Amino acid sequence: MSQKDKSAAVETSAMTGTEDPTNDDMLVQTDVSDGLSASASGGATRAKTIIRAEDVNVWYGDEQALQNISMEIPENSVTAMIGPSGCGKSTFLRCINRMNDLIDVARVEGKLSLRGKNVYDDDVDPVALRRRVGMVFQKPNPFPKSIYENVVYGLKIQGIDADYDEVVEESLKRAALWDEVKDRLHESGLDLSGGQQQRLCIARAIATDPEVLLMDEPASALDPVATSQIEDLVEELAEDYTVVIVTHNMQQAARISDKTAVFLTGGELVEFDDTQKIFENPESDRVEDYITGKFG
Amino acid sequence: MATQSDTIEGFGQVSRRAGIIFRYLLMGATMFGIVTLAILLVYVANDALQPLTADPGWYLVFFATLVAPATLVGAYLARTNLDALKLGALVVGTLAVTLMFSGGAAILFVDIVPPLVSLSYAVGLVVPFAAVVLMTKYEDQIPFTVRVAATGAIFFLSLFGIPGYYHSIPEMVQKIPVVPTEWVIVTFLLGGGVSVVVGLYFARLRENTRAGVVAGVAALAATGLFAVSGLFTGVNPTALAVVTAGAFVPTAAYAGGAALTREHERVGLLFAAVVIFGALVGAVAVDVLGFAGPQSWVDWQFLTSSHSGTAENAGLYPAIGGSILLMITVAALSFPLGVGAAVYLEEYAPDNVFTRFIDVNISNLAGVPSVVYGLLGLGVFVTYLGQATGTVLIGGATLALLILPIVIISSREAIRSVPSDMRQASYGMGATRWQTVKNVVLPEAFPGILTGTILALGRAIGETAPLIMIGAPNVLFSLPTELSSKVSAMPLQVYAWSSLFASEDFYTKAVPAGVVVLLAVLLAMNSVAIVLRNKFESES
Repeated sequence: MSQKDKSAAVETSAMTGTEDPTNDDMLVQTDVSDGLSASASGGATRAKTIIRAEDVNVWYGDEQALQNISMEIPENSVTAMIGPSGCGKSTFLRCINRMNDLIDVARVEGKLSLRGKNVYDDDVDPVALRRRVGMVFQKPNPFPKSIYENVVYGLKIQGIDADYDEVVEESLKRAALWDEVKDRLHESGLDLSGGQQQRLCIARAIATDPEVLLMDEPASALDPVATSQIEDLVEELAEDYTVVIVTHNMQQAARISDKTAVFLTGGELVEFDDTQKIFENPESDRVEDYITGKFG
Repeated sequence: MATQSDTIEGFGQVSRRAGIIFRYLLMGATMFGIVTLAILLVYVANDALQPLTADPGWYLVFFATLVAPATLVGAYLARTNLDALKLGALVVGTLAVTLMFSGGAAILFVDIVPPLVSLSYAVGLVVPFAAVVLMTKYEDQIPFTVRVAATGAIFFLSLFGIPGYYHSIPEMVQKIPVVPTEWVIVTFLLGGGVSVVVGLYFARLRENTRAGVVAGVAALAATGLFAVSGLFTGVNPTALAVVTAGAFVPTAAYAGGAALTREHERVGLLFAAVVIFGALVGAVAVDVLGFAGPQSWVDWQFLTSSHSGTAENAGLYPAIGGSILLMITVAALSFPLGVGAAVYLEEYAPDNVFTRFIDVNISNLAGVPSVVYGLLGLGVFVTYLGQATGTVLIGGATLALLILPIVIISSREAIRSVPSDMRQASYGMGATRWQTVKNVVLPEAFPGILTGTILALGRAIGETAPLIMIGAPNVLFSLPTELSSKVSAMPLQVYAWSSLFASEDFYTKAVPAGVVVLLAVLLAMNSVAIVLRNKFESES
């Protein structure tokens, strides 16, 4: 099947709407409430697990970026990933929506399930997967189109039939940007300030109503005011979405996340637990050293 | 150690002699080519334009009406508001360049493609386009393959019909017994198209539909008025309609748009006004006062007549028309092929030995001498495919092959300069590769692609060797009218004057005049490319 046919097929399947049974074939919806999810976090939460990693290994060429990562991310919560530069936290994030597929040399092994379906199975279309898993990047990257066009981009490419005006207003309101831009929806998204651009990117990501929102250091390029706006936003979004956020900023992780994963150099997941526990009483000395600033 | 601080006489000197010599050698190397070419161009321009033959009064009048006021206003703006001066200069430049290009378009409409044929094909294209737009509206209800097949079928039936059974739309339009005169067709066809664009531009600018309608109607009315004025002054009304729609209306729309939106810079329009009115007033004044201008060889006669045995009566008209047709053919062939290859290589091709082999070879092809491409054209199109020698089609195809590597390389540069952030954002939204290319990469890379293509066309318009190789005639007395007619080109005509008709007369009159026209066209094309590039760079 040539590339063109493939994309045509995706388009056709998208035209009939995202609730199409063919999509469910790709990502089987099963409830995963088999006790494992509860025990993983020491029984503190009883939320359903939405993302489960089992022995995930990632290589970039010969270099191993992630080693035997296993974790379970509960639904409708904020999960933070912290760790020093190059520890693989962003790599893990990009495994969840298979953005690593775009890098030729990247190789993923192990099992990474979204609602019980391994996203690396052969029958999973990464494009269909990404339509359920939104992503916000480190650097604000709105398209060089109008604010309006930025927000409806996902709807257009996914062929979702909706009242665009309504979706734009709704998404921008949820991204706490509506009041600032409602009079200039048709101006370029690039004319906004950095913080506004990032909120536009969040609005763009939630416009298609994904199940999971991945955020790769969304506030690292922003000033403190814009950062706190983004943080407030993330906490609000967790009511409806599962947010997985990578951050360099430990205070940020402590403030906004329910669970925290600490990655350390070499692509190792050292500890994954409730945020409070990680920051107050970590199991591992290495994690304690990292959090208290003795290392990293 | 001594505790008191010693005072010293100085720090001494380090010799920079070698460095200074090196610096001036480098400067010499930089200037060598430019200065040599400049001297040659001064000679050529002197021969072609003969500025010294003009009446001193002529210079005096133009100095008083054009040079002095423009210098004064320009100097004032340069000191107070440089951006405004740039805007003014851009308006003047736009007028000059669009005048030249619309002059070329006028040749097309008056002498090459009869307006009725243009009209028939315009209608023949509008109908299927409307059908496609309609289909896009309901695209979620029609399967993809059906849409593709239907699009192909609609275009084919509209443009070609079924021979013997069913006429194509252009044929039907051409069979209509009563048609308006040519200038009316051109006014509505070209003026109408331009008016729609101008109307949309102003409607968006003012966020007001009425403003758009007013601007559009004004544009169409202006085109019509100029065309009608031709009926009374004896100037070809068709040509006037083309020039108005192609040069005056766009320049006025640009200036008007700038006046409405760029408050800080709008004062620069004064500079444009001074230059344009100064030139007009000067032209009228020298005419009234009876001062003779320079006996330039680049004159109306030179631009509108064909080759002649005497240099004084020789002209470039068939060659200009030929060059225009060649450039249209070259652009139509090399743009889709080159951009397609560039998109494939940048966005789709895997990084393997084969792709790298292609990469290296495209760079090599860009350096292959043009005469070799001529040989290729002769071998493939004439010998192998059995086409007639020297036609517009095979000339255009050969030149398209020649510039294809340049188009590919510059388009790849433009595509590569689209930030990968944007691709990531698109893929992250669940876009397929095709959707990402169509919605993000190509729109963002388009100005760069266009710039590269125009510069490549500039290379093609000056090529002589490939045209000689494929047997294009040196001298042609009438314009080529279709793709299969013989074609000449400006550089070929200049070459013919300096070889076949070599004589003192041709060397000093026709050849320099031809070179000046060719260079003027080239400069106009390059200036469009440079303006596009600057606009593109300042936006990103």
